[in-house]
Amino acid sequence: MQTDPAIARDGEFSTLLRAESQTVAAWTTEWNARRVALHVGIIILGAGCFGAAMGWWRSPTQGCFVAVKFPLIILLTAMGNALLNAMLAPLLGLNISLRQSLLAILTSFAITAAILGAFSPLLGFLVWNAPPMTPDVKSTSTYGLIKLVNVLAIAFAGIAGNVRLFQLLAQLAGSRAIARRVFIAWLAGNLFLGSQLTWIARPFIGSPQLPVAFMRETAMKGNFYENVWATIVEVTRFDD
Amino acid sequence: MNESNPNQPPFPPQATPSLPPPPISGPRPLGDDPAEREPIPNVIVAIEAMLRQPRRLMFQLRQPGAGKLIASMLFVAILCSAIYGVIVGSFSGGTQWWAAPVKVTSGLLISTLICLPSLYIFTSLSGAQARLVEIFGLVVGLLMLMTILLIGFAPVAWLFSQSTNHVAWMGFLHLLFWGISTVFGLRFLQAGFAHAKAKSNSGLNTWAVIFLLVVLQMTTALRPIVGPAEETFLPTKKVFFISHWFNCMDWTQPW
Repeated sequence: MQTDPAIARDGEFSTLLRAESQTVAAWTTEWNARRVALHVGIIILGAGCFGAAMGWWRSPTQGCFVAVKFPLIILLTAMGNALLNAMLAPLLGLNISLRQSLLAILTSFAITAAILGAFSPLLGFLVWNAPPMTPDVKSTSTYGLIKLVNVLAIAFAGIAGNVRLFQLLAQLAGSRAIARRVFIAWLAGNLFLGSQLTWIARPFIGSPQLPVAFMRETAMKGNFYENVWATIVEVTRFDD
Repeated sequence: MNESNPNQPPFPPQATPSLPPPPISGPRPLGDDPAEREPIPNVIVAIEAMLRQPRRLMFQLRQPGAGKLIASMLFVAILCSAIYGVIVGSFSGGTQWWAAPVKVTSGLLISTLICLPSLYIFTSLSGAQARLVEIFGLVVGLLMLMTILLIGFAPVAWLFSQSTNHVAWMGFLHLLFWGISTVFGLRFLQAGFAHAKAKSNSGLNTWAVIFLLVVLQMTTALRPIVGPAEETFLPTKKVFFISHWFNCMDWTQPW
């Protein structure tokens, strides 16, 4: 495969953001330590900056904690599902190696983190303009706004990263149907593990009633899905 | 890059648009690709072949002296199910550290042995031309694929084991992972039987239902596997798996 000279002249970061599927597909065929370090670096920096802005509203210490936790969740999700993703891909019709599947996931996570990093100054500015947290913060519109902005930014970055991942899989498979199957399987696995890791690593925005902490004392008690189920039961209970 | 894509596996077979349609309907004969004729010398290659070249494995299972390959596949299945059993046992700890792997591994093997005769009968009734050793090889392939996929799920299962105290939730999660792995295993079995010239798949489909029911009942017969160990290694009370699941649910609590 010949690389467009214009692409070769550009930095790898811009190539990653443009996500030229042919070029990125070629990246997955070889283990390039420098490129892997770049992608991991983007995840640490991008997600870290966004996490810092997210936790800063509670306190600068909370910001530092979230800056460490957020990239860690992304990297642990990639590593925790690496073996499973590598097994599912050939079983669903895409014959790629463990290295290729891991690099494809890392690339999409790096794109997501880069977008999050780009949003972090905006979130930081919003937090800087917000009144300090008060005990009744959860009933205020500011809390709702900050939470909504966080969700929108993460959703946008996640969708963009996954669209790029699908394009990359389609390029590797040469078939959109195979790419769709693999993509859905990977997405389901990553969402399942990522949700639980996020649950364990809470708090992120933080709460004024609770002390600033890296993880809550109850971090390993209960899981995300039990909590969702309990909420559904609570909401649908009519006997009270 | 698109002209000949190395990432497309040979299985499931796909017709090449530029070639005329094959004269015989049905799956491509095993061994028509020279890569499928390459012997499988060790377990690592067997695992690779199971994931990437299942047709190679199916071809080798039909060759004389396939017993060694079947033995190595069985070894992988036992090893992987024991490892996953340790993950299952890590939820409760104590006696379950060794009891859960023993129960998971022996449960899968006993279920397979119980179901093997019925598979032979059902497939023979469907008109399939396969020897018992081939059928045994395909079932061991099912077990191997199922258990190596369980190893893929193991990190996620371990994480949840460490972060919840709810036995029913963990039981559900392990059943979910086992269910997904079994679907892939049964696909392998079905693909293998597609070359046995069976007149219909109904026998195999019926057997798949029986196999699922037997394994599910085995989880109840060997209980507790997920929860804390009891005084006896095996339960003293006989119960059907559905009523056991209902008993495990604490309906008074919202979880």
